[in-house]
Amino acid sequence: MMKDSLRAMFAMMELELRRLGHDRTEIYTRAIQPILWLVVYGTVMSSIRAIPTGGIPYLDYITAGVLLQSTIFVSVFYGLTIVWERETGVLKKLLVAPVPRFATVIGKCIASGVRSIFQAVIIVPAAMLLGVKFVVDPIYLLLAILLLFFISGGFAAISVIIASFMKTRERFMGIGQAIIMPLFFGSSALYPVKMMPGILRHLAALNPLTYAVDAVRGLVISGDVSHLARDSAAIIIFDVLMFAVASLTFRKVIE
Amino acid sequence: MTFAVEAKGIVKIYEGRVRALDGVDLTVKAGDAFTLLGPNGAGKTTLMRILTTQLRPTSGEARIFGLDVVKKGAEVRKVMNYVPQEMSVWTDVSGYENLLIYAKIYGIPANIRKKTIGEALEVMGLSAIAKNLVRTYSGGMIRRLEIASALLIKPKVLFLDEPTIGLDPSARKAVWEKILSFKKEYGITVFFNTHYMDEADLYSDEVAIIDRGKIVKTGTADELKHSIRVEFIHFGLKSQSINEEVLRKVRTLSTVSNVMVQGQELTVTVENAETSLAGIIDVLRGEGVDIEKISTTKPSMDDVFLKYAGTILSSGTGIREVRQVRRIIKKG
Repeated sequence: MMKDSLRAMFAMMELELRRLGHDRTEIYTRAIQPILWLVVYGTVMSSIRAIPTGGIPYLDYITAGVLLQSTIFVSVFYGLTIVWERETGVLKKLLVAPVPRFATVIGKCIASGVRSIFQAVIIVPAAMLLGVKFVVDPIYLLLAILLLFFISGGFAAISVIIASFMKTRERFMGIGQAIIMPLFFGSSALYPVKMMPGILRHLAALNPLTYAVDAVRGLVISGDVSHLARDSAAIIIFDVLMFAVASLTFRKVIE
Repeated sequence: MTFAVEAKGIVKIYEGRVRALDGVDLTVKAGDAFTLLGPNGAGKTTLMRILTTQLRPTSGEARIFGLDVVKKGAEVRKVMNYVPQEMSVWTDVSGYENLLIYAKIYGIPANIRKKTIGEALEVMGLSAIAKNLVRTYSGGMIRRLEIASALLIKPKVLFLDEPTIGLDPSARKAVWEKILSFKKEYGITVFFNTHYMDEADLYSDEVAIIDRGKIVKTGTADELKHSIRVEFIHFGLKSQSINEEVLRKVRTLSTVSNVMVQGQELTVTVENAETSLAGIIDVLRGEGVDIEKISTTKPSMDDVFLKYAGTILSSGTGIREVRQVRRIIKKG
């Protein structure tokens, strides 16, 4: 069963790669927004110097946040493809394949990671052009990519959970937006958590994005990986939890 | 004897109120082509989704080659495959890539994968366009690709939900020829839903008519046609020399169940044309009606359906779905 499941998950990732092989337009158009965050918001805010970033230039500071934001955008809306595939027959067909159902769900979720990595990688050269300095260490970079991949799966699972309840695309779009922005602003993507008012600080501690941003920032910008173990653990717990819930609520998608 | 498909008292109630299936019993012999014929909303798709382990029945049980669809779902999924009514391929990759991904999901070993895919493409007549993106395919090609993907694992039972919906007559014929040649070659059981009378008539060994969640009649197409005990005698008349009085007289014959005039043709419905023809001719001649030609016809599946389901199905009823399917294909 484990072998069947892994096989199906890899097949779904391969499908995503092949899709990207045929058409990468979406990767480019989706890169516009994060690049604007860097170019416009980043450069304006760094000229004010109002946010304590621990000695890192502000533009460098938010780069990790922007990478994560583009990642979760991709993965949350990737869940939309589940709604879409429910309307077509693809999902029905996957359900009668000789593969455990949870493998179908998790496979769909982690396949979003493939897309997310490409999405994130395209932002890096743009950031470099703006003068952001990255840590030059292939192992750190690889770890960062791995983290982006896994956090993406967790957010795609959130989106599957939402899709289980919102069965139309229109409703889903609204909820998708309503989830991404609070998570983004409620994390350390744009400012340190300790600048937030009390209640928000507690919420930020529960926000998986906070840990992901912290880990990626440590790996690619500051080189400070002292929190890496804690951050990775948080991401793994988040993924396992979301995969479990998504596998359970998935029944609703098909009925 | 183990049946390919066996259902007993299947009831499905959606959200506690919509009774989609109301006690379905049916059996399908291994190697047969079996048609579930019924109007839209009769419960065809619901039954198929239960048989293919996607939905659980509210009550009743079903088995595929002896395997319970609820308790042995995982094993059932290994012996059957299914083509849903809606489009079930990815349009943004090629036909070959679709089959490759499905082959990997189905666990076809790497050493025979290429060969298996090649065969499926060949059988479905898609080899020449295998490298093209699916979004450039016609509706008929997409259907054939979907069937090709279902055939990758050589299922013992193949479920097809409205396999030719939205296709033009020549594409429909092509799809059926491929299905039947594959069925013959590998001896698989084909279970399909349709609301096309001619498909039930032409392509199936056995037909079950479903109406409002119940099977109302089962048999071979010929058995069903015989069972309604109806035949038609058509009289071509020289002129419209027929009046109400003549019709009334024909109608009073004990062998005649209905009389209809359309232009210069008089159609008489009887139980047996051979034995009732002489009596009718006597009456017509006696009234001075000039008969130019006589022919008899057997009932069609439409007549069978009218009798058992109480409604007539014309291909026109499918237009809503055709549009829907087209819309999906276009969007994909």
